[in-house]
Amino acid sequence: MSFRQRAASALNDASLQEALTIATTKFIELRREAFDGFPQGERLRDRARQIKEATLQQLDHYVERLVDNVERLGGHAHYAVTAEEARDIVLEIAKRGGARMAVKTKSMATEEIELNEALTRAGITPVETDLGEYIIQLAHEKPSHIIAPAIHKTKGQVAQLFARELKREVAADAEVLTRIARAELRDKFLRAEVGITGANFAVADTGTVVLVTNEGNGRMVTSLPRVHIAVMGVEKVVPSMTDLMIFLAILAKSATGQKLSVYTTLVQGPRRPGELEGPDEFHLVLLDNGRITQLAGPLREALSCLRCGACLNVCPVYRQIGGHAYGYTYPGPIGILLTAMLHGQESVKELAHASSLCGACADACPVRIDIPRMLIELRQGGVESKTAPWAERVVFKTLGRLLTRPALYRLSARLARLFQRPFVRDGVIRRLPLFFGHWTRTRDLPPVAAPTFSERWAELERES
Amino acid sequence: MTRQEFLARIRGEMRKTSGLFAASVAERPAHPQRIADTLRRELSERWPETLEVFRREFERVGGIFYRVPSLAEVPEVVGALARERGARRVIAWHPSALRADLSGPLMAQDLETHLMPPGGLPEAERHGLRAHIAEADLGLTGVDLAVAETGTLVLVSGAGRPRSTALLPPYHVAVFDRTALVESLQQLGVVLESWHEGQPPVGRGGAIHFITGPSRTADIELTLTRGVHGPKEVHAIFVDAPFVG
Ligand code: SF4
Repeated sequence: MSFRQRAASALNDASLQEALTIATTKFIELRREAFDGFPQGERLRDRARQIKEATLQQLDHYVERLVDNVERLGGHAHYAVTAEEARDIVLEIAKRGGARMAVKTKSMATEEIELNEALTRAGITPVETDLGEYIIQLAHEKPSHIIAPAIHKTKGQVAQLFARELKREVAADAEVLTRIARAELRDKFLRAEVGITGANFAVADTGTVVLVTNEGNGRMVTSLPRVHIAVMGVEKVVPSMTDLMIFLAILAKSATGQKLSVYTTLVQGPRRPGELEGPDEFHLVLLDNGRITQLAGPLREALSCLRCGACLNVCPVYRQIGGHAYGYTYPGPIGILLTAMLHGQESVKELAHASSLCGACADACPVRIDIPRMLIELRQGGVESKTAPWAERVVFKTLGRLLTRPALYRLSARLARLFQRPFVRDGVIRRLPLFFGHWTRTRDLPPVAAPTFSERWAELERES
Repeated sequence: MTRQEFLARIRGEMRKTSGLFAASVAERPAHPQRIADTLRRELSERWPETLEVFRREFERVGGIFYRVPSLAEVPEVVGALARERGARRVIAWHPSALRADLSGPLMAQDLETHLMPPGGLPEAERHGLRAHIAEADLGLTGVDLAVAETGTLVLVSGAGRPRSTALLPPYHVAVFDRTALVESLQQLGVVLESWHEGQPPVGRGGAIHFITGPSRTADIELTLTRGVHGPKEVHAIFVDAPFVG
């Protein structure tokens, strides 16, 4: 199925549409409230971005320091250039530990390397323990949102799923369903030989791997099984505990509007002498998988991503089509960039156009990643190689010319205001005529503002 | 791939770029230990305000807060809340970790109390004990730090303070005094830096947990539900008279 077909079917799915609207609207509200009550937020976002950039500029140093400290604490570090290497490393450790079952926390990195399929093939049962992930694992689906993997499902659908997969009749009630999942999973936490997690951060100074969860499964997975394996994109390293605190102060606010997520777990190597619990073995798998070449590549900025999901919630395209329509592990605006990173630019030649370039993602991003800029660059790749539809090539070429010629730009904005009149409904353009219709089928377009930003700017300059 | 090859791969790419813009990491305190000590001194004066903020934030995230004059009142509070919830089996940090032995008075509250051992155990016994913890109704712990800004309890694992005490039972009750209070995440960062700089406290384990309210999820239709995998209720008892320990 092509992207266009997937998007079209998402648009025709009424329950998906409802679920998406409710969820993304709620997330946006919670995020806004959290930052409203946090005056230092803007400054910390700038700091956080600086730290990410400074870390990337000396990534070799920080990775080396991290690994030194992980090993000092009695942990083991492993290095994977490809997804396949990462899978092999995890399988090897798990098999050596005699694993038959592996409990997992939600981890986009392990989704990305398709670890579950590999574990299953090797005779090890992977059990997702984040409630949302558990639901989609039962349903044999992929996550549709970075932080809320099952938001596309209604409680009625979850109840039917539990009835079918767990063979029990249950009420379609979030509380009841959660209780059932708790009981099902409790036993698995206590039995699994191996725990597999991702990592939100790793602190180079101290060798600490940091996991952020709300449910407590992160604590279970890092405390109960005999072996803990953390799979982490190499760009997630942060220099110090001081830096970590800055990221923690903005991550949950951006993701769910909480000041902090319920559980932040700092893992410092395996169980220590005198401790009753904690793993005998701790392994950190550092994952490249397309990241390292981007240090000098066009997608470098995307290496600062915290995977908070804020850019998905505000994206007019994501809000319409949801995560599955994108067709890859990472959905939404950042997902398009990460897909290009993992699978090459060719893979997103259609997807790069699944954005209205409205800039909402960049505004919402806690580390201010300029996603639209990179999307435009990916499209220009398309313009050069002529993979974009010709109408769009014309539009973007023209736009490029206009943007570099202020007088022409101002004139065309005025003309556009005149011509757009028949198409504006409720403050957005929902359908464009002729071949431009393709473009608005899945997107709303903000109309040219009256007055435009540049007119307003000129006015402000006059006023001051 | 070996460590050297992997690092070489990173360096190879780094050489091709000069970075996006000039940037610096956060400034680490030069002498975190000293700053942490100063902080403690300052807080020993303004702790009542800090406690007020902590209470407000802790309650905002769904925690239940109590304040008692001395440790002697703690068992009564625990007894009352346990009875209300039909909880009988209690597991508690070892007295050396809790800085108090409350087992006698807790038993007197009709709570079947099991103290955690002060150190490690052989494999088989460890598993037996874990099964026991998994069946308890209530876990009683101390607190290493309480962060006012976010209503967060920080617990460091270690000897006599098993990780699952505050994880497996449905009710977690934490007891603390003014010495645990810090105001902000930033101050928490200073203390973590100071732990890292100095010798970590003897017998501390491999995990530090920040706990901000009871376990929760919103994975089904964004409906807030408590007690998914961790405790469904978190209680914090503040003791006015600092513990002697
Ligand atoms: S790009 Fe920014 S907003 Fe999007 S997930 Fe990453 S950090 Fe969050």
